[in-house]
Amino acid sequence: MAALATGGATPSDGATSFQRKVPASSRLAAIAGTRPSVRHGQLLLSSGLPSLDCVLGGGLAVGTLLLIEEDKYGIYSNLLFKYFLAEGIVCGHNLFVASAKEDPADILKELPAPLFDDVHKNQVDEKETAIKSKQESQESMKIAWRYQNLPKMEVSPAASARFGHYYDVSKTVSPELLKSIKWHRFFLPEEMSLHPEIKTCNMTCGYTRLLQSIQRIIYQEGFDGSYPQKKQKNILRIGIQSLGSVLWGDDICCTDNPEDIFSLTKFLYVLRGLLRMSLSACIITVPAHLIQNKAIMERVTNLSDTVVGLESFIGSERETNPLYKDYQGLIHVHQIPRLNSLICDVSGTKDLAFRLKRKQFTIETRAGSSQCDTFI
Amino acid sequence: PPPPPPYFIEQAARGSPTSQHGAAQGRASRSVCGTVAVRCEVIGRRRRRGAGEEGVGCWASWWLGQRGGLVLIEDTIECEGRSLLKTFVAASAHRGESVHVFGFEIPEEEFRAGFDPDVTVRLLYQDGFTDPLRWTGEAGGFCGEEFTALGVSGQLARGPAGPATVVLDSLSWLLLRQPLPAVCQALGRIPMAAASAGLRVTRILALLHGDLHPPGLVETLRSLARAVVGVGPAPEGVGSGGDTPRLASMLQRKETGKVLEKEEYFTILAGFTPKALGEPTGSVPRDEDTDPHSMADPAANLTFNLRLSDTERRARDGVPLPFHFSAQKKSSLLEASASAGKIYYEPDAADDLDEEDPDDDLDV
Repeated sequence: MAALATGGATPSDGATSFQRKVPASSRLAAIAGTRPSVRHGQLLLSSGLPSLDCVLGGGLAVGTLLLIEEDKYGIYSNLLFKYFLAEGIVCGHNLFVASAKEDPADILKELPAPLFDDVHKNQVDEKETAIKSKQESQESMKIAWRYQNLPKMEVSPAASARFGHYYDVSKTVSPELLKSIKWHRFFLPEEMSLHPEIKTCNMTCGYTRLLQSIQRIIYQEGFDGSYPQKKQKNILRIGIQSLGSVLWGDDICCTDNPEDIFSLTKFLYVLRGLLRMSLSACIITVPAHLIQNKAIMERVTNLSDTVVGLESFIGSERETNPLYKDYQGLIHVHQIPRLNSLICDVSGTKDLAFRLKRKQFTIETRAGSSQCDTFI
Repeated sequence: PPPPPPYFIEQAARGSPTSQHGAAQGRASRSVCGTVAVRCEVIGRRRRRGAGEEGVGCWASWWLGQRGGLVLIEDTIECEGRSLLKTFVAASAHRGESVHVFGFEIPEEEFRAGFDPDVTVRLLYQDGFTDPLRWTGEAGGFCGEEFTALGVSGQLARGPAGPATVVLDSLSWLLLRQPLPAVCQALGRIPMAAASAGLRVTRILALLHGDLHPPGLVETLRSLARAVVGVGPAPEGVGSGGDTPRLASMLQRKETGKVLEKEEYFTILAGFTPKALGEPTGSVPRDEDTDPHSMADPAANLTFNLRLSDTERRARDGVPLPFHFSAQKKSSLLEASASAGKIYYEPDAADDLDEEDPDDDLDV
């Protein structure tokens, strides 16, 4: 019986030795961290959560906008925001972080650390001790012992072009990794302090400045193709935290009749135009539960591409409901974009719940929902 | 305690509650610079933990925050929260912090009434009550329009250096005169502006009259605050006769993202010290019996036996599996992944290994 060949290019590598032959002149340039979609031919990015990528049909298309409706205390929406930025760091993309509440440097310091393949590293470094420990642990698997030495996690992202990574929320990203990427910032109080003659920044002023800042970065760094001689293209990941909250100067969260009801929608309209003409993707979190006028959220949903709403069980009566005891909240996918097609081919309404563990944020169909009930 | 002095028209319109003397000492949200809106419906008794030490019962763990934050005390017409605010002020002062009070609703003498002398020493009062619109043209005092980050930090700079607590009595007064975004932006920038002036604002305590504002505004403030304490009247029968018990429901948002909620009864004793009276028992017990997805043993109630006894289990473990190799063969299989294929043959009991070549018998 032939020995099982687990080797790839190198004996200690868990990856396969088969490599896809990419033609020399491929239309879609190979940008790190992206892959072409088989459905609509667009370039896809990972949103930082492999399970969310599955729900969205493979990933987030380049040039689109992902809108997250925040949960009541903003905990999980903040986590999704951080996953998106952390994915950008691991793939080597450029980042643009905008916030009115926290300093972007503080946000970046608190990003979760990516999970690399630790078992893989042990095999490379200390082969002898690894073999010994393998022999001892052979008793752990009685039937499937051939698979004992396969790495438990995926191989290191640096080694393979894997799409979507896992993160450990209990650790923060290492400063060396942060230094290796280029990032830009927009912090509203800082922008306002640069112009002290304006006492309070109303929404028009804040949003306009943000749009101008984004446009300037896109142009200067060449994300819109204005430097064709630049061979190595890269993606710009834009993250805007808590757009529409009072700290941006907008009063749609506090009254039914805000002063300028269209400021947020105008912002999104212009932003989507900027995104479409550049190699970028944007994540925005909006405190939808605070917005008083429901018509605003409908317009905002129409003006975004992908809209995901989060609902956490903290403080609600569902916390003690036994149906939900494994989960921390529900996810509602309100909209998925129809790119190059008439309908979106991601299957329709599902009863999705999410569960957060230290190393994994999984989204799954809630056990006990109507789709599963017939089998119980 | 003397009856409350005549108030301003707006307070009279609000119907100033009579339980003023309760003087909830409410542990000042010691939360370090966090605006923790603690909805404390503390009823009557607050447990005093030493002079100015940690707050009532669980409150000690509350007031711990690292960065500047907003602590919101929300009261209504049924139950006033200024006494709770004063307990927090007393606790902050006892911890050695200077307390800058921006008062708009009641005169300075009334605010200072009832405090111990060591507390009043640390109290720096900015008077926004006497002449809020600056009609008399006198110097001093604090105008409503001056409530910006720079204006406030300018006032703070006049006090002693060191940790400072900013107290707003009340935030509702400001919100009725200035738009909410401006006030929130100013509140957010006060710690930064003060830091650039060399001061350290540990927390911002604000009193909010919840029934004066639209619910959206209150919700927005609650989402901005680090802790919210809501004060309300307690049901009958709690606490002893002399106290005015109140209910506090506290909500604290920690930096790690956890959210804590708690309800407690408290009262306020003389000298603005709180006293805890216990917790309400009104929560509904969980209904575990009617849980249809309980962890029932799936092997029960069957017509056939799916369980294993111990001897059966051991016998099952002892059965050799078809691809159960010896340990040596397993390890060599696992290790030799790069070498050329090897053939391993393990004869079983029925095999008869004969070294002779069977073709030798052929007579060809």
